[in-house]
Amino acid sequence: MGQLYVEGDLRVVGTVEGGLEVTGSVEIDDGGRVTGPVTAHDRLVVGRAGSLVGDVHVARLVVADGATFSGKVSMGKQVDAPPKPVELPVPVAEPAKIEDTVKAEAPVTVAEPVKTQQPFKGQPAKPQQFHAPKPPDRKGKRR
Amino acid sequence: MDVQEAVAESTPAASVEDNGDARRGGQRKFTMGPNDSLEGKLVYEGDVHVDGRAEGEFKVTGNLDVAQGATARISIEAANVSVKGQVEGSVNAHDKLTLGKNARLSGDIVVRRLQIEDGASLNGHVRMGDIEQHGSGG
Repeated sequence: MGQLYVEGDLRVVGTVEGGLEVTGSVEIDDGGRVTGPVTAHDRLVVGRAGSLVGDVHVARLVVADGATFSGKVSMGKQVDAPPKPVELPVPVAEPAKIEDTVKAEAPVTVAEPVKTQQPFKGQPAKPQQFHAPKPPDRKGKRR
Repeated sequence: MDVQEAVAESTPAASVEDNGDARRGGQRKFTMGPNDSLEGKLVYEGDVHVDGRAEGEFKVTGNLDVAQGATARISIEAANVSVKGQVEGSVNAHDKLTLGKNARLSGDIVVRRLQIEDGASLNGHVRMGDIEQHGSGG
């Protein structure tokens, strides 16, 4: 008895004794025999002459007429998400230290002076022409 | 050579009589409609078509089928069981259980033959009569 973990699909034509976990689909073909729990994140198909004895946790299940099947079936959405790869604890980097080392070895890159593009203002705004009220006609007031 | 078509089979689904009880070639059939509901214990010699809403215990000598769209909270014992709707409860099929592609069944199953179509949903324990149950302590 052992445990088989497969990333992808699996087709069983022989005999498997032990647990199966597959990220894709499992197909137990004619003549295939599985004894043990099966987890398939997609689909499990038991063919006409296939045999499965064990608890099953799958997203979709197809059992052909004539297949042998016995066990507890749980189908649920939670299987849909493939398992996360083993998460290694990522050590939290100490920023200060790393910065120091980098500075020591890497050439100091001086940031180029940033050419800030002056917003184009176009022509200086013309002095606004005020239409000053014309001085009243002094027609009749000649000196 | 003349091939005789099975004309007798083509009569429209077992012409239903007044109380949903019909006879088809000597075999009785109890038919529920989509607006029917039934609660309690049904012991029936013949076939049963479950539709609408059903609750309780159905013991049938013939075949039992649960229509698509039907909601049944029943324990079933029948020769052949075909589920296209939603069933909550145990199923004991002396011969075969078929789950259609839209079937939803949650409950324990004891059958001789089992067919599950892609798309069906099943939650429960399946035991096949043909399989000897070994102690699972290995």
